[in-house]
Amino acid sequence: MSQQAKKLFGSELKVINVGLEIFHDDLAAQSVKVIQVNFTPPPKIEKEYEDILSKLL
Amino acid sequence: MPFVKNVVKGNFYKDSLQLMQISEEAKKIAGVRDAAVVMGTSTNKELLERLGLLTKEGRDAREEDMVLAVMVEDEGQLDPAISRLEELLTRPAQAKARAYYNLDEALSAMPDANLAVVSVPGEHAKEIVKKLLDRGVHVHLFSDHVPHEDEAYLKKYASERGLFVLGPGAGTSIIGGKAIAFANVVNRGDIGIVAGAGTGLQEVSVLISRAGGGISEGLGIGGGDLKDYVGGIMALDGIRALEADPMTSVICLVSKPPSPKTLEKVISFVEAQTRKKYVLCFLGREKYEVNERLRGRVFATKSLHLAAVRAVGLSAGERAEGMIERISMSRDRLEGLASEIASRLKPEQKYVRGLYTGGTLTYETMLIFTELLGGVYSNAPIDDSFKLKDSYTSFEHTLVDLGEEEFTAGRAHPMIDPTVRKLRLVEEAKDKTVAVVMMDVMLGYGSNRDPAGAMVGPIREAVAIAVKDGRELPILAHVCGTDLDPQPLREQEEKLAREGVILFPTNAQMAVVAALAATRGQIPKDVKDRVLKEYLGL
Repeated sequence: MSQQAKKLFGSELKVINVGLEIFHDDLAAQSVKVIQVNFTPPPKIEKEYEDILSKLL
Repeated sequence: MPFVKNVVKGNFYKDSLQLMQISEEAKKIAGVRDAAVVMGTSTNKELLERLGLLTKEGRDAREEDMVLAVMVEDEGQLDPAISRLEELLTRPAQAKARAYYNLDEALSAMPDANLAVVSVPGEHAKEIVKKLLDRGVHVHLFSDHVPHEDEAYLKKYASERGLFVLGPGAGTSIIGGKAIAFANVVNRGDIGIVAGAGTGLQEVSVLISRAGGGISEGLGIGGGDLKDYVGGIMALDGIRALEADPMTSVICLVSKPPSPKTLEKVISFVEAQTRKKYVLCFLGREKYEVNERLRGRVFATKSLHLAAVRAVGLSAGERAEGMIERISMSRDRLEGLASEIASRLKPEQKYVRGLYTGGTLTYETMLIFTELLGGVYSNAPIDDSFKLKDSYTSFEHTLVDLGEEEFTAGRAHPMIDPTVRKLRLVEEAKDKTVAVVMMDVMLGYGSNRDPAGAMVGPIREAVAIAVKDGRELPILAHVCGTDLDPQPLREQEEKLAREGVILFPTNAQMAVVAALAATRGQIPKDVKDRVLKEYLGL
Protein backbone atom coordinates (compact mmCIF):
# COMPACT_ATOMS: atom_id res chain seq x y z
CA MET A 1 0.00 0.00 0.00
CA SER A 2 1.35 3.43 -0.91
CA GLN A 3 2.29 5.83 1.87
CA GLN A 4 -0.59 8.03 0.73
CA ALA A 5 -3.14 5.19 0.97
CA LYS A 6 -1.81 4.40 4.47
CA LYS A 7 -2.43 8.02 5.33
CA LEU A 8 -6.11 7.37 4.59
CA PHE A 9 -6.78 3.81 5.80
CA GLY A 10 -4.44 3.66 8.75
CA SER A 11 -4.97 7.10 10.27
CA GLU A 12 -7.62 9.12 11.99
CA LEU A 13 -9.84 10.82 9.40
CA LYS A 14 -9.44 14.60 9.12
CA VAL A 15 -11.88 15.96 6.59
CA ILE A 16 -12.40 19.17 4.68
CA ASN A 17 -16.02 19.29 3.48
CA VAL A 18 -16.58 21.55 0.49
CA GLY A 19 -20.25 22.10 -0.30
CA LEU A 20 -23.32 20.46 1.19
CA GLU A 21 -23.35 21.04 4.94
CA ILE A 22 -25.26 17.84 5.64
CA PHE A 23 -22.06 15.88 4.96
CA HIS A 24 -20.18 18.04 7.47
CA ASP A 25 -22.86 17.50 10.09
CA ASP A 26 -23.03 13.74 9.48
CA LEU A 27 -19.24 13.38 9.81
CA ALA A 28 -19.24 15.49 12.97
CA ALA A 29 -22.00 13.24 14.36
CA GLN A 30 -19.59 10.31 13.86
CA SER A 31 -16.91 12.15 15.88
CA VAL A 32 -14.82 12.80 12.75
CA LYS A 33 -12.68 15.96 12.78
CA VAL A 34 -14.20 18.02 9.96
CA ILE A 35 -14.24 21.63 8.81
CA GLN A 36 -16.74 23.26 6.48
CA VAL A 37 -16.03 25.24 3.33
CA ASN A 38 -19.13 26.94 1.96
CA PHE A 39 -19.40 27.09 -1.80
CA THR A 40 -21.21 29.75 -3.78
CA PRO A 41 -21.14 29.54 -7.56
CA PRO A 42 -19.56 32.54 -9.31
CA PRO A 43 -22.36 34.86 -10.49
CA LYS A 44 -23.67 33.99 -13.94
CA ILE A 45 -22.74 36.60 -16.52
CA GLU A 46 -25.58 37.42 -18.86
CA LYS A 47 -25.04 35.84 -22.28
CA GLU A 48 -24.84 39.15 -24.15
CA TYR A 49 -22.14 40.50 -21.81
CA GLU A 50 -20.27 37.22 -22.11
CA ASP A 51 -20.30 37.55 -25.91
CA ILE A 52 -19.01 41.12 -25.71
CA LEU A 53 -16.27 40.11 -23.27
CA SER A 54 -15.16 37.19 -25.41
CA LYS A 55 -14.86 39.52 -28.40
CA LEU A 56 -12.82 42.01 -26.43
CA LEU A 57 -10.44 39.47 -24.85
CA MET B 1 -61.05 27.23 -2.77
CA PRO B 2 -57.38 27.71 -1.84
CA PHE B 3 -55.34 30.71 -3.00
CA VAL B 4 -51.86 30.31 -4.50
CA LYS B 5 -49.11 32.88 -4.95
CA ASN B 6 -45.64 32.64 -6.48
CA VAL B 7 -42.85 35.15 -5.97
CA VAL B 8 -39.76 34.86 -8.19
CA LYS B 9 -36.39 36.07 -6.92
CA GLY B 10 -33.95 36.59 -9.79
CA ASN B 11 -30.42 35.12 -9.55
CA PHE B 12 -30.89 33.97 -5.97
CA TYR B 13 -29.13 30.73 -5.03
CA LYS B 14 -29.33 28.28 -2.16
CA ASP B 15 -28.57 24.57 -2.41
CA SER B 16 -31.41 22.09 -2.69
CA LEU B 17 -31.02 20.81 0.88
CA GLN B 18 -31.29 24.28 2.37
CA LEU B 19 -34.37 24.92 0.24
CA MET B 20 -35.96 21.64 1.31
CA GLN B 21 -35.52 22.57 4.96
CA ILE B 22 -37.00 26.03 4.38
CA SER B 23 -39.92 24.46 2.48
CA GLU B 24 -40.65 22.17 5.44
CA GLU B 25 -40.61 25.15 7.83
CA ALA B 26 -42.82 27.16 5.47
CA LYS B 27 -45.51 24.49 5.63
CA LYS B 28 -45.82 25.25 9.36
CA ILE B 29 -46.56 28.98 8.86
CA ALA B 30 -50.01 29.89 10.24
CA GLY B 31 -52.70 29.56 7.58
CA VAL B 32 -50.46 27.82 5.04
CA ARG B 33 -51.85 24.62 3.54
CA ASP B 34 -48.81 23.86 1.39
CA ALA B 35 -45.60 25.64 0.41
CA ALA B 36 -42.37 25.09 -1.49
CA VAL B 37 -39.21 27.06 -2.18
CA VAL B 38 -37.31 25.75 -5.19
CA MET B 39 -34.95 26.79 -7.95
CA GLY B 40 -36.82 27.42 -11.21
CA THR B 41 -35.78 24.25 -13.06
CA SER B 42 -38.30 22.52 -15.31
CA THR B 43 -38.36 19.56 -12.87
CA ASN B 44 -39.34 21.84 -10.02
CA LYS B 45 -41.93 23.67 -12.08
CA GLU B 46 -43.46 20.32 -13.09
CA LEU B 47 -43.64 19.33 -9.43
CA LEU B 48 -45.16 22.66 -8.36
CA GLU B 49 -47.78 22.17 -11.08
CA ARG B 50 -48.64 18.71 -9.77
CA LEU B 51 -48.91 20.07 -6.23
CA GLY B 52 -51.20 22.86 -7.43
CA LEU B 53 -48.56 25.39 -6.39
CA LEU B 54 -47.61 26.94 -9.76
CA THR B 55 -48.85 30.28 -11.09
CA LYS B 56 -47.91 32.22 -14.22
CA GLU B 57 -45.10 34.04 -12.37
CA GLY B 58 -43.49 30.77 -11.36
CA ARG B 59 -43.94 29.28 -14.81
CA ASP B 60 -41.88 32.14 -16.25
CA ALA B 61 -38.97 31.66 -13.81
CA ARG B 62 -35.53 30.75 -15.17
CA GLU B 63 -33.24 28.01 -13.83
CA GLU B 64 -31.13 30.48 -11.89
CA ASP B 65 -34.18 32.08 -10.25
CA MET B 66 -35.78 31.00 -7.00
CA VAL B 67 -39.52 30.43 -6.77
CA LEU B 68 -41.40 30.96 -3.50
CA ALA B 69 -44.80 29.25 -3.65
CA VAL B 70 -47.53 29.22 -1.02
CA MET B 71 -51.09 27.92 -0.86
CA VAL B 72 -53.46 29.31 1.79
CA GLU B 73 -57.16 28.95 2.62
CA ASP B 74 -57.82 32.66 3.09
CA GLU B 75 -56.64 35.20 0.51
CA GLY B 76 -55.68 37.63 3.27
CA GLN B 77 -53.04 35.15 4.45
CA LEU B 78 -51.09 35.18 1.16
CA ASP B 79 -48.92 38.25 1.73
CA PRO B 80 -48.14 37.57 5.41
CA ALA B 81 -47.12 34.01 4.42
CA ILE B 82 -44.81 35.26 1.66
CA SER B 83 -43.28 37.82 4.06
CA ARG B 84 -42.59 35.12 6.63
CA LEU B 85 -41.06 32.94 3.89
CA GLU B 86 -38.74 35.81 2.89
CA GLU B 87 -37.65 36.06 6.52
CA LEU B 88 -36.84 32.36 6.61
CA LEU B 89 -34.75 32.74 3.46
CA THR B 90 -32.71 35.67 4.63
CA ARG B 91 -32.13 34.75 8.26
CA PRO B 92 -28.49 34.04 9.05
CA ALA B 93 -27.43 30.41 8.88
CA GLN B 94 -27.16 28.59 12.20
CA ALA B 95 -23.81 29.39 13.71
CA LYS B 96 -21.23 26.69 12.98
CA ALA B 97 -18.01 26.73 14.92
CA ARG B 98 -16.52 28.27 11.77
CA ALA B 99 -17.28 27.94 8.10
CA TYR B 100 -14.66 28.92 5.52
CA TYR B 101 -15.36 30.56 2.20
CA ASN B 102 -11.89 29.98 0.85
CA LEU B 103 -10.25 26.58 0.31
CA ASP B 104 -6.72 27.89 0.98
CA GLU B 105 -7.78 29.14 4.40
CA ALA B 106 -9.36 25.78 5.18
CA LEU B 107 -6.21 23.93 4.07
CA SER B 108 -4.14 26.17 6.35
CA ALA B 109 -6.56 25.58 9.23
CA MET B 110 -6.31 21.79 8.81
CA PRO B 111 -2.86 21.17 7.31
CA ASP B 112 -3.00 17.44 8.13
CA ALA B 113 -6.36 16.83 6.38
CA ASN B 114 -6.34 13.41 4.68
CA LEU B 115 -9.73 13.48 2.97
CA ALA B 116 -11.95 16.08 1.33
CA VAL B 117 -15.62 15.56 0.53
CA VAL B 118 -16.52 17.76 -2.43
CA SER B 119 -20.12 18.41 -3.44
CA VAL B 120 -20.09 21.47 -5.69
CA PRO B 121 -21.72 21.79 -9.13
CA GLY B 122 -19.76 19.52 -11.49
CA GLU B 123 -18.38 22.27 -13.71
CA HIS B 124 -16.56 23.78 -10.71
CA ALA B 125 -15.12 20.51 -9.41
CA LYS B 126 -11.87 20.27 -11.38
CA GLU B 127 -10.21 23.37 -9.98
CA ILE B 128 -11.10 22.51 -6.38
CA VAL B 129 -10.10 18.84 -6.62
CA LYS B 130 -6.76 19.62 -8.29
CA LYS B 131 -5.86 22.04 -5.51
CA LEU B 132 -6.68 19.38 -2.90
CA LEU B 133 -4.58 16.76 -4.73
CA ASP B 134 -1.66 19.20 -4.92
CA ARG B 135 -1.83 19.40 -1.14
CA GLY B 136 -1.80 15.58 -0.79
CA VAL B 137 -5.47 15.23 0.17
CA HIS B 138 -7.58 12.25 -1.01
CA VAL B 139 -10.94 13.29 -2.47
CA HIS B 140 -14.43 11.82 -2.29
CA LEU B 141 -16.12 13.68 -5.15
CA PHE B 142 -19.88 13.59 -4.67
CA SER B 143 -20.64 16.04 -7.49
CA ASP B 144 -22.20 14.75 -10.67
CA HIS B 145 -22.11 16.32 -14.14
CA VAL B 146 -18.30 16.45 -13.99
CA PRO B 147 -17.13 16.43 -17.63
CA HIS B 148 -15.58 13.08 -18.65
CA GLU B 149 -12.30 14.72 -19.63
CA ASP B 150 -12.07 16.35 -16.18
CA GLU B 151 -12.72 13.00 -14.50
CA ALA B 152 -10.06 11.21 -16.57
CA TYR B 153 -7.56 14.03 -15.98
CA LEU B 154 -8.13 14.19 -12.21
CA LYS B 155 -7.91 10.43 -11.74
CA LYS B 156 -4.68 10.14 -13.69
CA TYR B 157 -3.27 13.11 -11.77
CA ALA B 158 -4.32 11.56 -8.44
CA SER B 159 -3.03 8.10 -9.30
CA GLU B 160 0.41 9.46 -10.18
CA ARG B 161 0.55 10.93 -6.67
CA GLY B 162 -0.73 7.80 -4.89
CA LEU B 163 -4.03 9.53 -4.07
CA PHE B 164 -7.67 8.57 -4.56
CA VAL B 165 -10.34 10.51 -6.39
CA LEU B 166 -13.45 8.60 -5.34
CA GLY B 167 -16.26 9.57 -7.69
CA PRO B 168 -17.45 11.75 -9.37
CA GLY B 169 -21.01 10.89 -8.62
CA ALA B 170 -19.73 8.85 -5.66
CA GLY B 171 -22.71 8.63 -3.36
CA THR B 172 -21.05 6.33 -0.87
CA SER B 173 -17.76 5.44 0.77
CA ILE B 174 -16.89 3.82 4.08
CA ILE B 175 -13.43 4.77 5.29
CA GLY B 176 -11.94 3.73 8.61
CA GLY B 177 -15.42 2.66 9.69
CA LYS B 178 -16.91 6.09 9.03
CA ALA B 179 -19.81 6.65 6.64
CA ILE B 180 -18.97 9.20 3.94
CA ALA B 181 -21.95 10.93 2.24
CA PHE B 182 -24.77 8.38 1.72
CA ALA B 183 -23.51 5.37 3.63
CA ASN B 184 -24.64 3.03 6.34
CA VAL B 185 -23.12 2.24 9.69
CA VAL B 186 -21.89 -1.32 9.26
CA ASN B 187 -19.76 -3.76 11.25
CA ARG B 188 -16.04 -3.56 10.70
CA GLY B 189 -14.45 -6.71 9.32
CA ASP B 190 -12.22 -8.19 6.66
CA ILE B 191 -14.25 -7.56 3.48
CA GLY B 192 -13.12 -4.61 1.35
CA ILE B 193 -15.40 -3.21 -1.34
CA VAL B 194 -14.55 -1.24 -4.48
CA ALA B 195 -17.77 -0.05 -6.08
CA GLY B 196 -18.69 1.94 -9.15
CA ALA B 197 -22.29 1.89 -7.94
CA GLY B 198 -23.43 3.92 -4.91
CA THR B 199 -26.47 2.02 -3.72
CA GLY B 200 -24.65 -1.15 -4.81
CA LEU B 201 -22.03 -0.42 -2.16
CA GLN B 202 -24.76 0.37 0.35
CA GLU B 203 -26.69 -2.86 -0.34
CA VAL B 204 -23.64 -5.16 -0.31
CA SER B 205 -22.11 -3.59 2.83
CA VAL B 206 -25.47 -3.67 4.63
CA LEU B 207 -26.17 -7.30 3.72
CA ILE B 208 -22.69 -8.41 4.78
CA SER B 209 -23.13 -6.58 8.07
CA ARG B 210 -26.62 -7.97 8.67
CA ALA B 211 -25.27 -11.47 8.06
CA GLY B 212 -22.70 -10.86 10.80
CA GLY B 213 -19.69 -10.09 8.58
CA GLY B 214 -17.93 -6.74 8.35
CA ILE B 215 -16.31 -4.18 6.09
CA SER B 216 -12.69 -3.02 6.20
CA GLU B 217 -12.97 -0.18 3.67
CA GLY B 218 -15.62 0.68 1.05
CA LEU B 219 -14.41 2.79 -1.84
CA GLY B 220 -17.03 4.38 -4.11
CA ILE B 221 -15.17 5.05 -7.35
CA GLY B 222 -18.11 6.44 -9.37
CA GLY B 223 -19.98 4.84 -12.26
CA GLY B 224 -17.62 6.22 -14.93
CA ASP B 225 -14.42 4.67 -13.60
CA LEU B 226 -14.91 1.33 -15.35
CA LYS B 227 -15.78 2.96 -18.65
CA ASP B 228 -13.05 3.20 -21.25
CA TYR B 229 -12.73 7.00 -20.96
CA VAL B 230 -11.20 6.44 -17.51
CA GLY B 231 -10.04 2.86 -17.96
CA GLY B 232 -10.54 1.71 -14.36
CA ILE B 233 -7.77 3.89 -12.87
CA MET B 234 -9.33 4.07 -9.41
CA ALA B 235 -10.72 0.52 -9.54
CA LEU B 236 -7.17 -0.79 -9.98
CA ASP B 237 -5.70 1.60 -7.39
CA GLY B 238 -8.46 0.59 -4.96
CA ILE B 239 -7.74 -3.11 -5.51
CA ARG B 240 -3.98 -2.50 -5.04
CA ALA B 241 -4.61 -0.64 -1.78
CA LEU B 242 -6.93 -3.34 -0.43
CA GLU B 243 -4.49 -6.09 -1.50
CA ALA B 244 -1.88 -4.36 0.67
CA ASP B 245 -4.28 -3.61 3.53
CA PRO B 246 -3.70 -6.00 6.46
CA MET B 247 -7.35 -5.62 7.60
CA THR B 248 -8.71 -6.97 4.30
CA SER B 249 -8.84 -10.62 3.26
CA VAL B 250 -11.76 -10.62 0.77
CA ILE B 251 -12.22 -7.98 -1.95
CA CYS B 252 -15.56 -7.36 -3.58
CA LEU B 253 -15.76 -5.36 -6.82
CA VAL B 254 -19.26 -4.07 -7.64
CA SER B 255 -20.26 -2.32 -10.85
CA LYS B 256 -22.80 -2.00 -13.60
CA PRO B 257 -21.40 -3.48 -16.84
CA PRO B 258 -17.89 -2.08 -17.45
CA SER B 259 -16.74 -1.15 -20.97
CA PRO B 260 -15.30 -4.30 -22.61
CA LYS B 261 -11.64 -3.14 -22.78
CA THR B 262 -11.66 -1.96 -19.17
CA LEU B 263 -13.36 -5.16 -18.04
CA GLU B 264 -10.59 -7.18 -19.67
CA LYS B 265 -7.93 -5.01 -18.05
CA VAL B 266 -9.44 -5.37 -14.56
CA ILE B 267 -9.98 -9.11 -14.88
CA SER B 268 -6.42 -9.66 -16.16
CA PHE B 269 -5.12 -7.69 -13.20
CA VAL B 270 -7.14 -9.69 -10.67
CA GLU B 271 -6.11 -12.97 -12.31
CA ALA B 272 -2.40 -12.23 -12.60
CA GLN B 273 -1.47 -9.75 -9.91
CA THR B 274 -3.53 -10.48 -6.82
CA ARG B 275 -3.51 -13.18 -4.18
CA LYS B 276 -6.52 -12.43 -1.93
CA LYS B 277 -10.06 -13.79 -2.40
CA TYR B 278 -12.36 -11.92 -4.81
CA VAL B 279 -16.03 -11.49 -5.60
CA LEU B 280 -16.57 -9.80 -8.96
CA CYS B 281 -20.13 -8.50 -9.16
CA PHE B 282 -20.67 -7.09 -12.61
CA LEU B 283 -24.41 -6.48 -12.80
CA GLY B 284 -25.47 -7.27 -16.31
CA ARG B 285 -26.99 -9.80 -18.59
CA GLU B 286 -23.64 -11.39 -19.40
CA LYS B 287 -22.04 -13.62 -16.82
CA TYR B 288 -18.28 -13.47 -16.51
CA GLU B 289 -16.95 -17.02 -16.32
CA VAL B 290 -14.11 -17.43 -13.87
CA ASN B 291 -10.95 -18.95 -15.25
CA GLU B 292 -10.61 -22.62 -14.19
CA ARG B 293 -7.32 -21.92 -12.36
CA LEU B 294 -8.98 -19.34 -10.12
CA ARG B 295 -11.99 -21.34 -8.92
CA GLY B 296 -12.21 -21.16 -5.17
CA ARG B 297 -10.36 -17.83 -5.02
CA VAL B 298 -12.37 -15.69 -7.44
CA PHE B 299 -16.17 -15.79 -7.77
CA ALA B 300 -18.37 -13.93 -10.24
CA THR B 301 -21.95 -12.93 -9.44
CA LYS B 302 -24.75 -11.14 -11.26
CA SER B 303 -26.58 -9.73 -8.23
CA LEU B 304 -25.80 -7.63 -5.17
CA HIS B 305 -27.54 -10.27 -3.07
CA LEU B 306 -25.21 -13.02 -4.27
CA ALA B 307 -22.15 -10.75 -4.03
CA ALA B 308 -22.85 -10.35 -0.30
CA VAL B 309 -23.54 -14.06 0.13
CA ARG B 310 -20.29 -15.07 -1.64
CA ALA B 311 -18.22 -12.48 0.24
CA VAL B 312 -19.55 -13.74 3.59
CA GLY B 313 -18.85 -17.29 2.43
CA LEU B 314 -15.23 -16.48 1.58
CA SER B 315 -14.72 -14.51 4.77
CA ALA B 316 -16.41 -16.82 7.28
CA GLY B 317 -15.72 -20.28 5.79
CA GLU B 318 -17.58 -23.00 7.70
CA ARG B 319 -19.48 -20.48 9.84
CA ALA B 320 -21.00 -18.85 6.75
CA GLU B 321 -24.09 -21.03 6.32
CA GLY B 322 -25.80 -19.87 9.52
CA MET B 323 -24.86 -16.26 8.74
CA ILE B 324 -26.25 -16.29 5.21
CA GLU B 325 -29.61 -17.56 6.52
CA ARG B 326 -30.04 -14.16 8.20
CA ILE B 327 -30.40 -12.45 4.82
CA SER B 328 -31.76 -15.26 2.63
CA MET B 329 -35.22 -16.75 2.34
CA SER B 330 -35.65 -20.33 1.11
CA ARG B 331 -37.14 -21.05 -2.29
CA ASP B 332 -40.28 -22.47 -0.64
CA ARG B 333 -40.69 -19.32 1.42
CA LEU B 334 -40.26 -17.03 -1.60
CA GLU B 335 -42.70 -18.99 -3.75
CA GLY B 336 -45.18 -19.30 -0.86
CA LEU B 337 -45.11 -15.57 -0.30
CA ALA B 338 -45.62 -14.88 -4.00
CA SER B 339 -48.65 -17.26 -4.08
CA GLU B 340 -50.14 -15.61 -1.02
CA ILE B 341 -49.81 -12.15 -2.61
CA ALA B 342 -51.19 -13.41 -5.95
CA SER B 343 -54.27 -14.85 -4.18
CA ARG B 344 -55.21 -11.32 -3.08
CA LEU B 345 -55.25 -9.91 -6.63
CA LYS B 346 -58.08 -9.43 -9.09
CA PRO B 347 -57.56 -10.86 -12.60
CA GLU B 348 -56.91 -7.41 -14.12
CA GLN B 349 -54.11 -6.68 -11.64
CA LYS B 350 -51.15 -7.76 -13.78
CA TYR B 351 -48.35 -5.25 -13.56
CA VAL B 352 -45.49 -4.46 -11.22
CA ARG B 353 -44.57 -0.87 -10.42
CA GLY B 354 -41.21 -0.21 -8.80
CA LEU B 355 -40.60 3.23 -7.28
CA TYR B 356 -36.88 3.35 -6.50
CA THR B 357 -34.56 5.93 -5.01
CA GLY B 358 -31.41 3.83 -5.55
CA GLY B 359 -30.06 3.60 -9.11
CA THR B 360 -28.16 0.34 -8.69
CA LEU B 361 -31.08 -1.32 -6.96
CA THR B 362 -33.32 -0.25 -9.87
CA TYR B 363 -30.81 -1.81 -12.22
CA GLU B 364 -30.61 -5.09 -10.27
CA THR B 365 -34.41 -5.37 -10.34
CA MET B 366 -34.48 -4.51 -14.04
CA LEU B 367 -32.12 -7.40 -14.80
CA ILE B 368 -34.30 -9.84 -12.84
CA PHE B 369 -37.50 -8.53 -14.45
CA THR B 370 -36.02 -8.68 -17.94
CA GLU B 371 -35.44 -12.39 -17.39
CA LEU B 372 -38.70 -13.20 -15.59
CA LEU B 373 -41.14 -10.77 -17.20
CA GLY B 374 -39.59 -9.98 -20.57
CA GLY B 375 -39.93 -6.27 -21.09
CA VAL B 376 -39.96 -3.75 -18.30
CA TYR B 377 -40.45 -0.05 -18.99
CA SER B 378 -38.31 2.53 -17.26
CA ASN B 379 -37.03 6.08 -17.40
CA ALA B 380 -33.54 4.49 -17.32
CA PRO B 381 -34.01 1.20 -19.21
CA ILE B 382 -31.33 -1.32 -20.15
CA ASP B 383 -32.90 -1.55 -23.60
CA ASP B 384 -33.88 1.81 -25.11
CA SER B 385 -36.98 0.35 -26.76
CA PHE B 386 -38.45 0.14 -23.25
CA LYS B 387 -37.92 3.79 -22.39
CA LEU B 388 -41.03 5.39 -20.88
CA LYS B 389 -42.52 8.08 -23.13
CA ASP B 390 -43.16 10.15 -20.01
CA SER B 391 -41.14 9.46 -16.86
CA TYR B 392 -44.08 10.62 -14.78
CA THR B 393 -46.48 8.04 -16.23
CA SER B 394 -46.03 4.28 -15.85
CA PHE B 395 -46.86 1.77 -18.56
CA GLU B 396 -47.36 -1.99 -18.04
CA HIS B 397 -44.43 -3.30 -15.93
CA THR B 398 -42.53 -0.15 -14.93
CA LEU B 399 -39.47 0.58 -12.81
CA VAL B 400 -38.83 4.23 -12.06
CA ASP B 401 -35.42 5.45 -10.93
CA LEU B 402 -36.43 8.59 -9.06
CA GLY B 403 -32.77 9.58 -8.71
CA GLU B 404 -32.49 10.32 -12.43
CA GLU B 405 -31.95 13.83 -13.75
CA GLU B 406 -35.57 14.53 -14.73
CA PHE B 407 -36.62 14.15 -11.09
CA THR B 408 -33.62 15.76 -9.40
CA ALA B 409 -32.59 18.86 -11.40
CA GLY B 410 -32.51 21.63 -8.78
CA ARG B 411 -33.96 19.38 -6.08
CA ALA B 412 -32.62 17.18 -3.30
CA HIS B 413 -32.19 13.49 -4.15
CA PRO B 414 -35.27 11.33 -3.40
CA MET B 415 -33.32 9.54 -0.67
CA ILE B 416 -33.56 12.87 1.17
CA ASP B 417 -36.72 14.43 -0.20
CA PRO B 418 -39.61 11.93 -0.51
CA THR B 419 -42.03 14.36 -2.22
CA VAL B 420 -41.85 12.89 -5.73
CA ARG B 421 -42.27 9.30 -4.58
CA LYS B 422 -45.15 10.21 -2.29
CA LEU B 423 -47.07 11.70 -5.21
CA ARG B 424 -46.17 8.81 -7.51
CA LEU B 425 -47.32 6.10 -5.09
CA VAL B 426 -50.77 7.67 -4.91
CA GLU B 427 -50.88 7.89 -8.72
CA GLU B 428 -49.99 4.20 -9.08
CA ALA B 429 -52.78 3.26 -6.66
CA LYS B 430 -55.35 4.74 -9.07
CA ASP B 431 -54.34 2.29 -11.82
CA LYS B 432 -56.54 -0.82 -11.66
CA THR B 433 -54.01 -2.92 -13.58
CA VAL B 434 -51.31 -2.61 -10.90
CA ALA B 435 -50.65 -5.89 -9.09
CA VAL B 436 -47.96 -4.80 -6.65
CA VAL B 437 -45.94 -1.69 -5.90
CA MET B 438 -42.36 -2.17 -4.70
CA MET B 439 -39.87 0.28 -3.27
CA ASP B 440 -36.48 0.63 -1.65
CA VAL B 441 -36.08 2.53 1.60
CA MET B 442 -32.50 3.70 2.01
CA LEU B 443 -31.22 4.33 5.54
CA GLY B 444 -27.87 5.65 6.71
CA TYR B 445 -26.10 8.97 6.91
CA GLY B 446 -27.05 11.42 4.16
CA SER B 447 -30.56 9.99 3.82
CA ASN B 448 -33.85 11.34 5.13
CA ARG B 449 -33.99 10.89 8.89
CA ASP B 450 -37.31 9.02 8.74
CA PRO B 451 -37.82 7.66 5.23
CA ALA B 452 -40.32 4.99 6.28
CA GLY B 453 -42.31 7.46 8.35
CA ALA B 454 -42.44 9.84 5.39
CA MET B 455 -44.18 7.16 3.29
CA VAL B 456 -46.83 6.20 5.89
CA GLY B 457 -49.33 8.88 4.83
CA PRO B 458 -49.10 8.12 1.09
CA ILE B 459 -49.24 4.35 1.80
CA ARG B 460 -52.50 4.82 3.69
CA GLU B 461 -53.87 7.01 0.92
CA ALA B 462 -52.84 4.48 -1.76
CA VAL B 463 -54.36 1.54 0.11
CA ALA B 464 -57.59 3.51 0.70
CA ILE B 465 -57.89 4.31 -3.03
CA ALA B 466 -57.58 0.61 -3.88
CA VAL B 467 -60.03 -0.49 -1.17
CA LYS B 468 -62.62 2.06 -2.30
CA ASP B 469 -62.21 0.55 -5.74
CA GLY B 470 -62.86 -2.97 -4.40
CA ARG B 471 -59.29 -4.31 -4.71
CA GLU B 472 -56.17 -4.75 -2.64
CA LEU B 473 -52.83 -3.11 -3.36
CA PRO B 474 -49.95 -5.16 -1.93
CA ILE B 475 -46.93 -2.95 -1.23
CA LEU B 476 -43.47 -4.54 -1.02
CA ALA B 477 -40.39 -2.89 0.43
CA HIS B 478 -36.75 -3.57 1.07
CA VAL B 479 -35.24 -1.42 3.80
CA CYS B 480 -31.50 -1.09 3.14
CA GLY B 481 -29.93 -0.33 6.47
CA THR B 482 -28.73 -1.61 9.82
CA ASP B 483 -29.70 -1.15 13.43
CA LEU B 484 -26.57 0.95 13.83
CA ASP B 485 -27.84 3.57 11.35
CA PRO B 486 -29.13 6.96 12.54
CA GLN B 487 -32.59 5.64 11.60
CA PRO B 488 -32.43 2.16 13.18
CA LEU B 489 -33.53 -0.61 10.80
CA ARG B 490 -35.93 -2.26 13.21
CA GLU B 491 -37.86 0.97 13.88
CA GLN B 492 -38.09 1.76 10.17
CA GLU B 493 -39.28 -1.75 9.28
CA GLU B 494 -41.86 -1.69 12.07
CA LYS B 495 -43.36 1.56 10.73
CA LEU B 496 -43.90 -0.09 7.34
CA ALA B 497 -45.04 -3.45 8.73
CA ARG B 498 -47.74 -1.68 10.75
CA GLU B 499 -49.15 -0.41 7.43
CA GLY B 500 -49.23 -3.96 6.01
CA VAL B 501 -46.13 -3.51 3.85
CA ILE B 502 -44.42 -6.83 3.02
CA LEU B 503 -40.71 -6.60 3.86
CA PHE B 504 -37.71 -8.32 2.27
CA PRO B 505 -34.16 -8.67 3.55
CA THR B 506 -32.68 -8.01 0.10
CA ASN B 507 -33.74 -6.18 -3.04
CA ALA B 508 -33.20 -9.19 -5.32
CA GLN B 509 -35.57 -11.35 -3.27
CA MET B 510 -38.23 -8.61 -3.39
CA ALA B 511 -37.85 -8.42 -7.17
CA VAL B 512 -38.28 -12.17 -7.62
CA VAL B 513 -41.39 -12.31 -5.42
CA ALA B 514 -42.94 -9.28 -7.16
CA ALA B 515 -42.47 -10.91 -10.57
CA LEU B 516 -43.81 -14.30 -9.42
CA ALA B 517 -46.85 -12.67 -7.78
CA ALA B 518 -47.74 -10.47 -10.76
CA THR B 519 -47.52 -13.45 -13.16
CA ARG B 520 -49.21 -15.84 -10.71
CA GLY B 521 -46.10 -17.99 -11.05
CA GLN B 522 -46.70 -18.52 -14.78
CA ILE B 523 -43.03 -18.38 -15.73
CA PRO B 524 -41.34 -21.26 -17.58
CA LYS B 525 -39.67 -23.54 -15.04
CA ASP B 526 -36.26 -23.45 -16.73
CA VAL B 527 -36.26 -19.62 -16.67
CA LYS B 528 -37.36 -19.50 -13.03
CA ASP B 529 -34.78 -22.11 -11.99
CA ARG B 530 -32.00 -20.23 -13.76
CA VAL B 531 -32.91 -16.84 -12.25
CA LEU B 532 -33.21 -18.27 -8.73
CA LYS B 533 -29.79 -19.89 -9.15
CA GLU B 534 -27.95 -17.02 -10.84
CA TYR B 535 -29.38 -14.15 -8.77
CA LEU B 536 -30.22 -15.75 -5.42
CA GLY B 537 -27.99 -18.84 -5.35
CA LEU B 538 -31.03 -21.12 -4.79
